[in-house]
Amino acid sequence: MRARKIITGRGALGGIAEGPAMISRQTITGWGGVDIFTGKVVETGHPLEGMSIKDSVLILDGSKGSNGWSVFFHAAKEAGCGPAALVFPRLDSRTAVTAAVLNVPLVTDIAEDLFALIRVGDRLRIDGDRGIIEILG
Amino acid sequence: MKLSDKEKGILDGYEGPVRQKAMELIVRYGRIVGAEALCKVTWADLFCGSHHYLDVVSSDDFDIVFSKMSLCSSETVNLETMDSQCICFSGVDADCSEVPDGMLMPPDKKTRNARFLSRFVDAGVVLSGNCIPYLTGFIPLMGEHFVSCESSAVLYMNSVWGACGNGDGIEASFCAAVCGRTPLAGNHLPENRIGTDLVAVNVAPKSVSDWDLLGFTIGRQLPPHAVPVLIGDFPRPNSIQLKAFSAALACAAGTELCHIVGLTPEAGTSAQALNHRKPNQTLAIGTIDMAASMEELNGHGRQKIDYVSLGCPHYHIDELRRIAAYLDGKRIHADTTVHLWTAGSIKYMADICGYTNTIEKAGATLLTGSCPSTRGYPDGVRTAAYDSSKQRISAAQETNAKLFYGSWEECLQSAISGYWEGR
Repeated sequence: MRARKIITGRGALGGIAEGPAMISRQTITGWGGVDIFTGKVVETGHPLEGMSIKDSVLILDGSKGSNGWSVFFHAAKEAGCGPAALVFPRLDSRTAVTAAVLNVPLVTDIAEDLFALIRVGDRLRIDGDRGIIEILG
Repeated sequence: MKLSDKEKGILDGYEGPVRQKAMELIVRYGRIVGAEALCKVTWADLFCGSHHYLDVVSSDDFDIVFSKMSLCSSETVNLETMDSQCICFSGVDADCSEVPDGMLMPPDKKTRNARFLSRFVDAGVVLSGNCIPYLTGFIPLMGEHFVSCESSAVLYMNSVWGACGNGDGIEASFCAAVCGRTPLAGNHLPENRIGTDLVAVNVAPKSVSDWDLLGFTIGRQLPPHAVPVLIGDFPRPNSIQLKAFSAALACAAGTELCHIVGLTPEAGTSAQALNHRKPNQTLAIGTIDMAASMEELNGHGRQKIDYVSLGCPHYHIDELRRIAAYLDGKRIHADTTVHLWTAGSIKYMADICGYTNTIEKAGATLLTGSCPSTRGYPDGVRTAAYDSSKQRISAAQETNAKLFYGSWEECLQSAISGYWEGR
């Protein structure tokens, strides 16, 4: 069990949610990168390939590829496989729209290097009102 | 965020539930990015039709699907009109009017797509059916605010024209078109349009294909969120080469704005493009980088080629003219399917110029509106070749076929012999 750690940023969309971290410094190609019916990452060679974003805390460094980035996450949510919360260390317009569309807790503007602090599967609590990421273990 | 009385009225529902729902999403988006105000959107390139991601909604009712997936509303509202001040295009189509063998959309889906598009026409959307709005009359001027569902179009219009748009997303584009507003943030603000990274182009791209490869090569080395500024003594690109460059760069890096010193309007000099600031870095692009990109994109070996898809982004009429001249009197191999993709309005020109006839006599098919990414692949494709790095990258998620990448000449030469003839 790791010691609990608190990381703070800006709470950009309110609410509190817990879930396992789905984290990658390498962002997912939105268009086609996620299976919309299962929430599984299907991008070939991606570090999270084969894992599902369902009920996770999704942490990615920006977006890439199509402006259709948001709809794949949105469609997965509609199919019951969306993430529980989002953390984008720095926002761009596509990640911001994705958060607005999913309407789940969001923490952003984080100075620390999350990708060095959090591992895939770590249990996290996200407080989107206060901008707090808590590593539970 | 400061809203005008008009915007508050829309948010409070005084202009109907559809505009209210759209404004709710736009305001939520604006608050997330910390926008202080909204700006008026006068051009909107949307993603209309019955696209495959909508299949997650178990309903064929347009208003249920549009409310959930475009307005992000669990309450169903009825779309009547887009904002009266906003010129709306329908974007790339989910279908194409010419139906090649093995790519048939089931009749029920075709009907549903036509029904959805008809509702958009009634709401004031022009059925443009292409991914190159900037070549077919979608022309936001310098400083004008637009939304577009096409990443390559956002990069092109921001960079080449100085118009202002963000990548946003498909839902935010629809909502902006309905309520006529988008957050005054990102590329809509001059301070965010300043270059961040210099890119020293130490190669000499000459062809459309070279510019496609250069866009991919820069894109795979750029850090996230960068606004690159291209410098160097390289040949001046034309608008067709910049179309390919924009698609490749936007796809590889998510870039929304790229200055080219001496060419694009906000980059008379590198100092102007950087607003006299020090760049984060100077990224040097040389022949080794271009070769590494080719190695990453292209398959190996002289294999049989089942499928060739060209025209991503959709072909300009001059590209079709060149292809018609190349194919004149030649014959595509019987085992290879060749699809060329363009806009309907451009195909009209190709028809009356005789290019379509020449292309089809050679055994290739000229299609409009769509592409394999939105339309799907012919059955049984084991190997496929592209002249676009964007299409090649997308294909890796869309097909299990072995993928090849080269210039359009290499792709067509391969289609004629039936075997990959590229590098």
